[in-house]
Amino acid sequence: MKKLTIMVLTALLLVPSFVFAQGSSEKDGNVTINFWTHEDTNRQAIEDGYIAEFEAANPDVTVKATRQASKKMIELIQTAFAAGEGPTIFNLESNNANPFVQAGRVAPVKYEALGYKDAEDMKSHYIDGMLDPVTYDGDIYGIPFEGLSWCLYINKNVFKDAGLDPEKDYPKTWEEMVEVSEKLVIRSGDIIERRGFDFRYPYYLETLVPMVNQLGGSLFSADGSEAIIGEEAWVKVLTYMQNWGPNGLNLGSPTYKNARKLFNNNNNDIAMAMSGLYQEARIKSDNPDFYNSGEWMVVPFPVWEDAVADTSASFYGQFYMVNADESEKTQQKAWELIGSMLSHEQEYLSEVNLIPPTKELMNSETFKSMPYAEVFEGDMERAHHLYFGKNATEVQSLLSTAVNNVMLQNMDPEQAYQELKASVQELVDED
Amino acid sequence: MSKQPIKHYSIEKKQARWGFFFTVPCLIFFAVFSFYPIISAFVTSLSDKQIMNRTSEFIGLENYKYLFTKSNGGFSLLNSMRATITFTLGTFIPMVVVSLIIAVFLMQLRKTRYRGFFQIGFYLPAVLSSVVAAAIWMIMFDPRGIVNQTTNALLNTAGKDYGWLVNSTMLQFSTMVVYFWKYIGYFVILFITGLATIPPTLYEAATVDGSGKWSNFWRITLPLLKPTVLLVSVMAMLQCLKTFSTQYMFVQGGTSRPPIDVITMNIYFTGIKHGKLGRASAMSIILFVIMLVLTVVQFKISDSDDVDY
Amino acid sequence: MNKFVGKITVAEALIWVILALVLCFTVLPILFMLVASVMDAKQILAMPFRWIPSREYFTTSDRTWLTNFHKAIFGNNNNPVFLRNIANSLIVASTVAVTTVILSALCGYGLAKFNFRGKNAIFMSIMATMMIPFEAIMIPLYIVTANLHMMNSYRGLIVPFLVTAFGVFQMRQYLLTFPAEFIDAARVDGLGEFRIFLSIVFPNCLPVISTLAILSFRNQWDNLLWPLLVSQSETMKTIPLYLSKFAEEKQTDEGAMMACALIASIPMFILFGALSKYFLGGAAVFESRKG
Repeated sequence: MKKLTIMVLTALLLVPSFVFAQGSSEKDGNVTINFWTHEDTNRQAIEDGYIAEFEAANPDVTVKATRQASKKMIELIQTAFAAGEGPTIFNLESNNANPFVQAGRVAPVKYEALGYKDAEDMKSHYIDGMLDPVTYDGDIYGIPFEGLSWCLYINKNVFKDAGLDPEKDYPKTWEEMVEVSEKLVIRSGDIIERRGFDFRYPYYLETLVPMVNQLGGSLFSADGSEAIIGEEAWVKVLTYMQNWGPNGLNLGSPTYKNARKLFNNNNNDIAMAMSGLYQEARIKSDNPDFYNSGEWMVVPFPVWEDAVADTSASFYGQFYMVNADESEKTQQKAWELIGSMLSHEQEYLSEVNLIPPTKELMNSETFKSMPYAEVFEGDMERAHHLYFGKNATEVQSLLSTAVNNVMLQNMDPEQAYQELKASVQELVDED
Repeated sequence: MSKQPIKHYSIEKKQARWGFFFTVPCLIFFAVFSFYPIISAFVTSLSDKQIMNRTSEFIGLENYKYLFTKSNGGFSLLNSMRATITFTLGTFIPMVVVSLIIAVFLMQLRKTRYRGFFQIGFYLPAVLSSVVAAAIWMIMFDPRGIVNQTTNALLNTAGKDYGWLVNSTMLQFSTMVVYFWKYIGYFVILFITGLATIPPTLYEAATVDGSGKWSNFWRITLPLLKPTVLLVSVMAMLQCLKTFSTQYMFVQGGTSRPPIDVITMNIYFTGIKHGKLGRASAMSIILFVIMLVLTVVQFKISDSDDVDY
Repeated sequence: MNKFVGKITVAEALIWVILALVLCFTVLPILFMLVASVMDAKQILAMPFRWIPSREYFTTSDRTWLTNFHKAIFGNNNNPVFLRNIANSLIVASTVAVTTVILSALCGYGLAKFNFRGKNAIFMSIMATMMIPFEAIMIPLYIVTANLHMMNSYRGLIVPFLVTAFGVFQMRQYLLTFPAEFIDAARVDGLGEFRIFLSIVFPNCLPVISTLAILSFRNQWDNLLWPLLVSQSETMKTIPLYLSKFAEEKQTDEGAMMACALIASIPMFILFGALSKYFLGGAAVFESRKG
């Protein structure tokens, strides 16, 4: 009897693993498109609609859309490709997209499916430099649904609370940034309760490199053989970061909460944060009262007082790409799907505040009528494209180590600079 | 599979076939999901395979040479070994010592009911998943969080930021605290079981001889518990070497990576994030060898632990 | 009362104090999770921290003590996928617990009570897999899983963990001390080998089976790394994955995160409450390896 009970129990418990199994069986002639994209509730809402429309118009196509956390996208997609199970369509930002293009893992754009004559025609529709990370040997391998650079969001309430006039006193230079933040910060002992501004920490290619560029330094020499150029500029920026951190003036640190997300709450704990145009939509959905109150504004990316180059936060794109391992037919359908989604570029902008970076859209009424559109446009014009070379991910990690070294471990900026240079140089020499 | 008895086989032979037959399902499983992957990892470690590339070349022991001489893009294997060893020593030694003491204390309690109560209380953290544990502690380690407040209250240093997740020493300490917190109850129970096997008659005899509790501990408890202590130590050590979740969650939460860049995490980042599969596989094999050596030591210990009571 | 106090010596009092302190250390963080799960971020990081949330806090119009739980379950798009994730974790963990027990009992029995050529080699090689850290074989394993078309499915989450070397080892050690007379007697009675296993050996392993089942259940409940790679769609994710994502996407909302952590811990607490004997007995089984 006992035996029987055990066997029945076992069978019962084993059943789910087979019943719930979701094997992907493909019928002949039908196309299954696995569509992976990063999580964005606002965008998901409109894209799901476009996908349904596309499926209705193409009964032989099934689209399986999956959303991933944006930080995890690159890891998941890389492993999937390594196992030969890459998704049909996926999106990645400039620096992560480029390696896929270089390695030949993604398929060139089917221009006619997107309504372009050829590569040149497509290129001319997008703002200059935008398609560089996905251009290889004259062909284009991805299409951006978003192109952006970050500006400075300001909470007027906090400024007023500290007795400042946001319209007049907002920081235009990095030096002013420290002064203003000093006035805004509230501490209890060494512990910060309200920050003036804080950086977007792991994203140093986006913000730290332009700060160095402004001072005349750069990541690589023109021919790419030497890394971390301009000792003075790098040391100055690293010293600035050290001063910013808990071992210096104690204005912020990577271990405090993400400034950009705190910003929306309007809880009097952060006055300034760095973000793209999409932040406007996020404020609107997270905290409509704050959005409508007009107590926030957007100002340009600060510049050093003694800057030698005027540049703002690097701009980058989010590119839809198509797996080169898919059959011709699937690729064709995939590009058609992307084309049909992006034909709604006005809605991407008006509903989700993402800017598909076409020249037409940037000049459209829809764009011009967005709050602070002129600030974003101005910054985009003076920005460079984010560094997207082969080792971009590693360079990003190394920049992170350098900043953590000075900010958290209180390392001498000169030494941090030397270590950074040596490790990035090692990456360069490896190739 | 054949159930037909084959006449000319002896009973032993027939039984032997059954024995083998019982182990076959597991054997097949391990072949597919353990042996093949580790062999595959070894083969990969001899190549320059990168996650994005379709092809790779055989480069012999280059990856191993590289790992011991170069910095692996700023996250060197040597630093990872340092981080892993620091974490392991800093965690398992206090864990073994403290849990032994607690276990001995618990055995002194008069009623097993009290003992059970404490045991359950100590064990509770082990019930939580590591992700939950890391999430709780990360909030508590915030500069404004409760750990910093308590430290300030205890040390009478109002308003000081101890930088639990900032300063590299504190950061390493914090990961140890989380791990220690999570597993202390488990090890207490291991020791209690060990202590329970010591016959009470030994203590009675010693007490009759006029020996005090303190000397009983040194003269009877500890020598008899030696095998358990050794076994638990090696087991704790092996567990600490494999630590991943706590460090991973902390780094995701914005702490700096090098101080707590344990080998497993370096493998994950080098292989999955930076796509250097060959190099990550070489690290895996190195970790495997370390654990192999330690486990052999463990087996040697458990083989020689016959104690006569 | 007096009689009781009178019996306690100084040393005993000291022991009680020390044990109580350790108890605070282990239990307070869990209590913190409980309390924080009804607070908002501002209260959680308030200085000084109030263990009992003030009453006026809940009387505001936009908050009740359920607000965090609502956020934890429904996220910000009213999609209760968290509940599905809990179900996934339960399915995966309980299936693995059952298969581990059956397969390790089978294999452990074979290794403990039979003599056949290559037995030692098989035993040693199974033991060797104990030393393979999961991170080391993550990628090859992923490729195997993909080739078997098990990505993004329950099979993908379950099959690589069907049995563990540790389980086989425990079963073998336990069964080494199992009296051979029982088995021989059954053979004399003419029972088949498989029937002997099912009706005599397996039912007699209950203590080790229950601890092993709990251990396997726990490990899968805890597993983060593998689902991170294998579960791609929202509906196939497990709890640790949902939690780690929650920590990442909503960094500002500690309250909701703690509510989430609490809900995720409830099944384990229930299991622990019901089977604490076996949880705590886990060590006993571990010790039996000396056999």
